[in-house]
Amino acid sequence: MNPVADDDAISGSVLAEQPEALLRFLELYGTLWSHGRLPQSVKEVARLRNARVTDCAYCRSVRFEGAVDDGLTEDRVVRIDDDYASADELTTREKVAIRFTDHFLGDPGAMTDADRAQLLEHFDTGELVELAAGVALFMGFSKIAVALGPPPEMPVTVVPTPDWPPQP
Amino acid sequence: MSTWLPGVTEGSSADTAGLGAVLGLRPDLYEPFREFYAVFWRDRLVDPVVLELCRLRVAQLLGCATELRVRYEPAVAAGFTEAMAVELSRWPTSDRFNPAHRAALAFAEQFVIDPKGIRGQVRDELRAHFVLPEVVAITEALALFDGFIRFRMILGVGGAPDTTTVDPTALDSPLP
Repeated sequence: MNPVADDDAISGSVLAEQPEALLRFLELYGTLWSHGRLPQSVKEVARLRNARVTDCAYCRSVRFEGAVDDGLTEDRVVRIDDDYASADELTTREKVAIRFTDHFLGDPGAMTDADRAQLLEHFDTGELVELAAGVALFMGFSKIAVALGPPPEMPVTVVPTPDWPPQP
Repeated sequence: MSTWLPGVTEGSSADTAGLGAVLGLRPDLYEPFREFYAVFWRDRLVDPVVLELCRLRVAQLLGCATELRVRYEPAVAAGFTEAMAVELSRWPTSDRFNPAHRAALAFAEQFVIDPKGIRGQVRDELRAHFVLPEVVAITEALALFDGFIRFRMILGVGGAPDTTTVDPTALDSPLP
């Protein structure tokens, strides 16, 4: 069993130098995670794919509690790798989300009609907006962690899922 | 560019539906996004000209023509000019830009291309021209620019056909 961290690494970071921006970010991020339409496991797969590609040590090590409760166990997480397309442990929807994340991070203007058709087969419009907004935030804030000084390597740690308003 | 998403907000065509129309398909996310996006300009967390130069440079690097047609009023009011936009890709040598602009633009480029490379001179120059809260604001704004310009591109978000100046703090006006 992984430990459940009870501190908030984001609020305790250098981002606290801009408290109003931090507050607004936490509102958006908590809404996306805990009040969205997409299952948390799908968002977590996309977040962890981004963490791997962006190479953010902190983001790679964290697991959100809601996604773990949603069934995203470590034997599934390890399959978010180069060979994800052949992983029986991942659902088709999760694989499509990974492919979307790769396009987003690599060349967001290069999706084909077949890519778009596949996305629309597995997600409705509102879910796609949520997925794209999520990956935008995952990537952006992974890059912040890397750019402002990466935290040391840490063990896999389960943390509470971001929520808004924050849960006591 | 036009969005390939079905169900664009009523009243907008697929060709002209901007960020507000597409992200607005999820008002539960769009509203807190607008609040977050606006705070950088409304509260002047850093010189709006610096933010505008960074936003447009990110758009250039990613190749997003629709984002490049947007201008933000707080930046124009603070001294951003079209001559700056014209010369932005030549920022290292153009005399349109001061040392603080150059420090921010070098940081912005490295942020987009490879944030692990933000070391040494790039970091030192940024810290020489901006205090820590400003560095944090620039970095957070870059995260938003990089992320949501990609959002615009991958979902085929359109926008105005000509250069359009808008106020990102006017929350009741949709972003183009």
